[in-house]
Amino acid sequence: MTTTPNSPATGAPPLRIRGLRAGYGTRVILDGVDLYVPAGEIHVVLGGSGCGKSTLLRAATGLERPWAGSVELFGEPLDWTQGRPADESFLKIGVLFQGGAMISSLNVEENVALPLRIHYPDLPRAALRELAHLKLQQVSLDGAGLKMPGELSGGMRKRAGLARALAADPALLFCDEPSAGLDPVTSRGLDDLLLELRETLGITMVVVTHELDSIRAIADRITFLSTGKVIFEGTLEEAASGPEEVRDFLNRQPSSPGTASADVIAFHLES
Amino acid sequence: MSAPSTTLLTVPAAMTPAVVTDLSKRAGEILRGGGDVHLDCAALVRLDSLGLAFLTSLHRQAEAGGHKLVLHALQEAPAAVLAKAPAHPAEGEETPVPKLFEAVGGGAYALALEWKDVALLLSESLYHSTLGWRKPKTLLRGEAVTQMIRLGSTAISIVLLLSTLIGFTLALQSGLQLEKYGAAIFLADGIGISMITEIGPLMTAVILAGRSGSAITAELATMTVQEEVSALRAMAANPFQFLVIPRFWALTVTQPLLTVASALSGIFSGMVVALLFFNIAPQAFLNQLQGGVEIKYVFQMLVKSVTFAWLIVFIATVKGLGVRGGADAVGRAATDCVVTCIFAIVLADALFSFFFYL
Ligand SMILES: Nc1ncnc2c1ncn2[C@@H]1O[C@H](COP(=O)(O)OP(=O)(O)OP(=O)(O)O)[C@@H](O)[C@H]1O
Ligand SMILES: [Mg+2]
Repeated sequence: MTTTPNSPATGAPPLRIRGLRAGYGTRVILDGVDLYVPAGEIHVVLGGSGCGKSTLLRAATGLERPWAGSVELFGEPLDWTQGRPADESFLKIGVLFQGGAMISSLNVEENVALPLRIHYPDLPRAALRELAHLKLQQVSLDGAGLKMPGELSGGMRKRAGLARALAADPALLFCDEPSAGLDPVTSRGLDDLLLELRETLGITMVVVTHELDSIRAIADRITFLSTGKVIFEGTLEEAASGPEEVRDFLNRQPSSPGTASADVIAFHLES
Repeated sequence: MSAPSTTLLTVPAAMTPAVVTDLSKRAGEILRGGGDVHLDCAALVRLDSLGLAFLTSLHRQAEAGGHKLVLHALQEAPAAVLAKAPAHPAEGEETPVPKLFEAVGGGAYALALEWKDVALLLSESLYHSTLGWRKPKTLLRGEAVTQMIRLGSTAISIVLLLSTLIGFTLALQSGLQLEKYGAAIFLADGIGISMITEIGPLMTAVILAGRSGSAITAELATMTVQEEVSALRAMAANPFQFLVIPRFWALTVTQPLLTVASALSGIFSGMVVALLFFNIAPQAFLNQLQGGVEIKYVFQMLVKSVTFAWLIVFIATVKGLGVRGGADAVGRAATDCVVTCIFAIVLADALFSFFFYL
C-alpha cells in the first residue's frame, strides 16, 4: 500500500515553519516561532488561552499572512506575493476550525462533501453522499447528515467539521481543539480516531488541545507557546524536566502561585 | 473470465476524482442497459475515501436495480479498506435541488481586504464567470436565481409604495406652479422625465441599499466572523465566486427591473393627479408624455440603475468580508454599509447629471 507512513527521511516534511512573526494590527501575537513536523507525527501545540495557537494554525494553513518568516508545506514555501494559493493541491491539507466553521447555508452532508465537490463538480452525487455518510460515521455523527449546521450542538459541529476536514483524505491535518466541549467518551473516541488515521493512512497532524488526557493519548511531541515564543519543544517525557511554566501547565497548577496574595490593597480597617 | 456479453471496466492504480467521474458514467450506462457491472481491480493499489464511497454507492445502485457489482482480482490492501463500507445507506432523501459550484479559477484572494483588492477580485471573478469560463458549467445558477428572488421580491412593495407617493407629491407641486402659466399639461413631461432619469433610479437604489445592501453585508460578515469564509479558503475555494458573484448577478438583474417599476408607478401617480386636480385626461397626459420622453432618458435610467447596483454589491462586499471581530461587528458593518452606499449613490448620481447634461 502506498499510504503507509512515509519515513521522515524520504521527501520533505509536511510542515516547517521558520521565524514566524504574525499579529493583528500593530499587536504582535507570534514573535519568531519555529515548528517542524515530520511525516506521520502527531504534534500538539499547547499554550494558555489567547496565546496565539489559532493564529499559528491560520498562518500555517495560509489563511493569515505572516509579517515575517516562512511556512513550508511539503517542502513548498507558501508564496504570498499572489495571496493565498488556491489550487487543488490544497486538498492535501485538512483544517478543523475551532468553531467547526460549517457553511450555514448547506446541510451537514453537503458541508462534508464540499471540498471535493468544489473542485470536481462532475463527481456523482451518490458517491459524494456516500462519502459524507462514511466520514460522519467515523466521527460518530451518523444520522445528522441532513441537519443544518444551526441545528447542531457545539460538539456536534466540531465533529462535523472534522468529518469535512477528512473528506479529501488529507496528508496533513490541522485540528484546532478537536475535543473541546465534548464529553469524555466522545472525546476519547476522537483521540482513538486520530490515532487510527495516523496508523492506517499515515496522516501527519498538528493538533491544538488543552485536554491533558488527550495530550497524553496522542502527542508524539509538543510545542509550548508563551508570549509569542516557543518556550518548549519535545516529547512529553522531556517536558517533565522542561521549563517551569510547561510543568505547571501539565500539572494543572496556576503559574507562580503565592504572588497573588502579596499584591492586594491593605485597607485600613477599624473596629 | 467474463461472459461474452459483459464488459470488464478496468480500474487504474488509484481512484482519483477524474477516474471516479468516468467510471461512474460508464457503469451507469451498463446498469441502465440492464447488465451487471464488472470491474477489473487488478491494478488498483490505493483505495481512498472517495473510491470507497464510490464503490459503495455503485454497489447500492446495482442492488437496487436487481443487478450486481462484481470486483475482479481485488488486491489485499484495497479489500481491507472496502471492509469498512457501512452496511446501511445514509437515512433520508437526497436534497432535491442541486446547487452547482464552479471550480475555482486560480484566483488569488487577498487577506487585508482593501477597496482596490475587492475591485480587482470582483472583476477577476466576473471574468471567470462570464468570458473566461473554461468549463461548460454555469456557476451557481440556482443560487443566483434564489438571491434574485430574495433580494428583489422583498423590495418590490416598498419601492412601489414610495414611488407612488413621491410621484403624487411631485406632480401636485409642479402642477400648481405650471398652472399659473396655464401650462399644466407640461406636468406630464416633468413627471415623466424626472421619474425616469432621477427619482426612479435614486429611490430604488436607496431602498435597495437599505434592504439588500445591508442584508448582503450582514450575511457575508456573519460568515466571516464564524470562519466560514476561512473554511472555504482552506478548501482552496475562492469565496468571491462562491458568495459574491451570485449576489452580484441577482442585483444586476433585479435593480433595473425595480427601477422601471418605480418610474412607472410614479408616472401613473402623476397621471392620476393630472386627472383629479388639473382636469387633464389620461389620453392627453400620455400623448404629452410620449412627445416629451426621449429614448435616451430610458437609456440613462438603465445605465444609472445598473451602476447603482454594482456600487451596492461592491460596498456591501467590502464591508461584509472586511469585518473584524465578533458578532457585534456584524451589526456595525451593516449600518456602515447602508450609510456608505447612500453616500456613494448620491455622489454617483451627481456625476451622472454632470455627464448626461453637459
Ligand atoms: N481577528 C483578530 N483581530 C484582532 N486580534 C485578534 C484576532 N484574532 C485573535 N486576536 C488576538 O490574538 C490573540 C491570539 O488569538 P488566538 O485565537 O490565536 O488564541 P488561541 O491561543 O487560539 O486562544 P484559545 O486557546 O482561547 O483558542 C488573542 O489575544 C486575540 O485577542
Ligand atoms: Mg484558539
